Amino acid sequence: MNFETVIGLEIHAELKSKTKIFCSCSTKFGAEPNANTCPICTGVPGTLPVLNEEVVNLAIKAGAALGCTINKYNKMDRKNYFYPDLPKAYQTSQFDKPICSGGIVEYEYEGKQVKVRLNRIHIEEDAGKLIHVEGEPISLIDYNRVGVPLAEIVTEPDMRSVGEAVAFVRKLKGILEYGEISDCRMEQGSLRCDANISLRPVGQEEYGTKVEIKNINSFRELQKALEKEEKRQIELYSYNEGHKVIQETRRWDAAKGKTISMRSKEQAHDYRYVVEPDLPPIILYDDQIQGIRNSLPEMPDKKRERFLSEYDLTEKEVEILISDMGLSMFFEAVVKEGVTPKTAANWILGDILRILKDRKIESLDMILSAENFAKLLKIVEDGKISNNIGREVAEDIFDENKDPMKVIEEKGLMQISSSDELEKIVDDVIAKNPQSVEDYKAGKTQSAGFLMGQVMKLTKGKANPNIAKELVDEKLSKL
Amino acid sequence: MKVSIDEVKYIAKLSKLKFSDEEAAKFASEFEGILDNFQYLNELDLEIKEDIDKVELKPIVRKDEVKTFECTDLFRNVKDMQETYIKVPKIIE
Amino acid sequence: MKMNIEEMVSKIKTGELTSEALVQSYIEEILKTESTVNAFLTLTCDEALAKAKIIDEKIKAGESLGRLAGIPIAIKDNICTEGVNTTCASKMLEDFIPPYDATVIKKLLAEDAIIIGKTNMDEFAMGSSNENSAFKKTLNPRDTTRVPGGSSGGSAAAVAGKMAPVSLGSDTGGSIRQPAAFCGVVGLKPTYGLVSRFGLIAFGSSLDQIGPFSNSVEDSAYILNIISGTDELDSTSIRDLKEIDYTDSLKDGIKGMKIGVPEEFFGEGLDEEIKASVKNSLELLKELGAEVETFSLPIIKDGLAAYYIMSSAEASTNLARYDGIRYGYKTPNYTNLDELMENSRTEGFGTEVKRRIMMGTYALSSGYYDAYYNKADKFREKLRYDLKNTFKKYDLIVGPVSPILPFKIGEKNADPLAMYLADIYTINVNLAGNPAISIPSGTSKDGLPIGIQLMGDMLCEEKIFKAAYSLEQALALEL
Repeated sequence: MNFETVIGLEIHAELKSKTKIFCSCSTKFGAEPNANTCPICTGVPGTLPVLNEEVVNLAIKAGAALGCTINKYNKMDRKNYFYPDLPKAYQTSQFDKPICSGGIVEYEYEGKQVKVRLNRIHIEEDAGKLIHVEGEPISLIDYNRVGVPLAEIVTEPDMRSVGEAVAFVRKLKGILEYGEISDCRMEQGSLRCDANISLRPVGQEEYGTKVEIKNINSFRELQKALEKEEKRQIELYSYNEGHKVIQETRRWDAAKGKTISMRSKEQAHDYRYVVEPDLPPIILYDDQIQGIRNSLPEMPDKKRERFLSEYDLTEKEVEILISDMGLSMFFEAVVKEGVTPKTAANWILGDILRILKDRKIESLDMILSAENFAKLLKIVEDGKISNNIGREVAEDIFDENKDPMKVIEEKGLMQISSSDELEKIVDDVIAKNPQSVEDYKAGKTQSAGFLMGQVMKLTKGKANPNIAKELVDEKLSKL
Repeated sequence: MKVSIDEVKYIAKLSKLKFSDEEAAKFASEFEGILDNFQYLNELDLEIKEDIDKVELKPIVRKDEVKTFECTDLFRNVKDMQETYIKVPKIIE
Repeated sequence: MKMNIEEMVSKIKTGELTSEALVQSYIEEILKTESTVNAFLTLTCDEALAKAKIIDEKIKAGESLGRLAGIPIAIKDNICTEGVNTTCASKMLEDFIPPYDATVIKKLLAEDAIIIGKTNMDEFAMGSSNENSAFKKTLNPRDTTRVPGGSSGGSAAAVAGKMAPVSLGSDTGGSIRQPAAFCGVVGLKPTYGLVSRFGLIAFGSSLDQIGPFSNSVEDSAYILNIISGTDELDSTSIRDLKEIDYTDSLKDGIKGMKIGVPEEFFGEGLDEEIKASVKNSLELLKELGAEVETFSLPIIKDGLAAYYIMSSAEASTNLARYDGIRYGYKTPNYTNLDELMENSRTEGFGTEVKRRIMMGTYALSSGYYDAYYNKADKFREKLRYDLKNTFKKYDLIVGPVSPILPFKIGEKNADPLAMYLADIYTINVNLAGNPAISIPSGTSKDGLPIGIQLMGDMLCEEKIFKAAYSLEQALALEL
């Protein structure tokens, strides 16, 4: 029997506001534990929440970017449960009247057009972070993250393969990043993904039993976790043990490489949703919504179209640039400084991408300015230094955004292009390598290459290769 | 309105409270009395015939600006801290 | 001291009276009376005296001071006072020291008021007799074998016992008005949203309001001037309030004022002496020029179910945060986190509190939400609607505060339901949000205070004060 995989996703994206959803604490990542807290987000008795206007705007923006209906009357509700990372013992979220309904995300996967419908987007507050101390019977709580605003994006079960699901998340990430709605960094936790996966015999309309998978912390884990779970279910179904697939939540354990049942004694999670009495309903107006729609930055698809038409780049080059918002922004800024797009693309997709990978830095966190990098590229384009030297300089200026000209001057890296100077060096090399000269005369033309190499070596790569080659060839021909 | 002891124990679990069987039984009978008393709510006519004057509601929001909440030692009431963390017995996921 | 607050302040500012002398006189009264009455949980007499001296110095130095310069005020112990123990009369918060001041406290201190102590109450404001305090029983200064009422019994007793000229309480279902009636003082529940709840430890979020206890209607208006106002930290605080001086129109008289008296207020269960006293006062109001008319408002007797369901539901979620982890009572009996939380709560909360939490959880649990919470919510809408229509016809609704006279300590402890039923007259305005005042109407033949309640439309405190003042003057009771 052939089975069809059905996947739905629940994505939590941290909204990019400066302050938390209900208090004015900073949302900046990386602060000392419990430094970004106040009586309100830590639930000190007597405190009350006040909604952050930017959170509402970002949610509307998300809805606008994802084709949702924006609900002009929506409200907050309390979701009640006990857990130490939740100081009030309830999470203020949205239950039956979310800020956005519907929506759609379209993308291409393995040659075909995929349409994934969204069910809703709602806003809610995040919980704190728990650290389970190894070897000690204690856990530690950091409330910095409590109250950070989240947009929960729920899809319909429209994905039909693990690959489609991963591609969906990439597409969604691009939209949220470009829309400046969320930073979408899975490793930092600003993009979290829970998946619901079920299997059904091909042709059957009814959905199979769905299993929820939690604790997915990267794209790789998303792929692996879903593949593993898919495999687990297929095996059970294939061996007539389909009844063992029960509706439950399973935790992805990256270390063990499998999903583990989270079934505990408390089966039911009765959240006892109740309207949040401390917050009045959220009322939105048409002009406010339209204003936000109008303010949406250029989305990935549009940018891709534009890049393909404006710049002489290949589809592949454009794809890589677009897939990383920071990179595409950097590219355009460099081109704006007067570098030819092809050159800019070559260097960015070559060296910059490599350096970013080596340093494990995100393009948006780059300190190197487009201005300085453009300067370097122009110096290379002008022939003042060779490509290879250019690469070295790029490495040098990257970490501290140094002025490439300064580095070149300090290190004396200017390409030697003066014929007189080079001539002396070429003569020197020829004089020091009589065997190569003999070899050349004997017909081994590659000796010229060797001599070139020596010239470059002697000049520490600074010799203008074209002029040097001309001189070497000239000198050799006269011998 | 019959309320069973099991129900009381379930509600207690949801509320993170613990009761002995005796206490649960007492609660159950108290609840029954109280809830019986509330049954009249079902018989009331709660229909509102016309629309109440709709007021133009403004959303209550605040500006997205980082502000320090002036307060003294926020964690002074925490009984168990480790460095700047709050310490609790190990949580098993 | 027969002066009203305004006079006291005025005399302090001219130096005719020193704050030190004033505060000292109250301290002496406290030393005389407090050991019997037990109105206070925390006394801050030394600090109060020190502050009084500073205020006197400032006055001598010619500094301009606030509208409550040098006046001692008692505060109900569910209002957060920074650095001063705030317990809600519960073991759960026995050692809780708030890190911040409630907004109303900030406002009082900005006017140079002096806090003389925190008063006893029913635990977490749940109760109508002050007998639910985990620490001590407050006695009614008028008859120390009887209860002072609740839940703000301590604040009422402080004023009635002449231990403070004015105090603050909170009213969720009558918790200011009923103790005011029982103790023979003036107690006001303002319009919901008129006084900030930031810093009021929550019981029923959509019902709670902070209000003053005083010896006169004029003092009540004077304090309301200071504690009312929009608070940016409270989302339920009314915005765009008109600037009103509540003492302004106090003495204008009530000629032509239309007063409605629901006949349902005088049904079965109302003590005959209370009935007589209220009817007598109604006659007086007629003599003063008001048009007093009996009418039918059936819904006015039906609020108990909705009130108890709603307040318990909100309480169950508001009190979920107390688990021993961040503040409050921590059980010594635990082997794991679950036990820590469960035992802290079970040992830290009193019986009535646990009862309400359970009722509230029950009302919100799946399967019962529609039958209870939803129904209660619908009732509330209908009540608001009916009251709104009533106030189109009448300026005020007048009736009793309590169906029973102040009862003996311990008399009503057997059956919680009996206690709940006595709230029948007061809960309506909490459900609907309307303002209401309780002023002394007379005494029973045994000398027990009887209160009369005047209710108004939303934000119509001025009308209430006007009528209450006129009645108060006409009654000229010596209390």
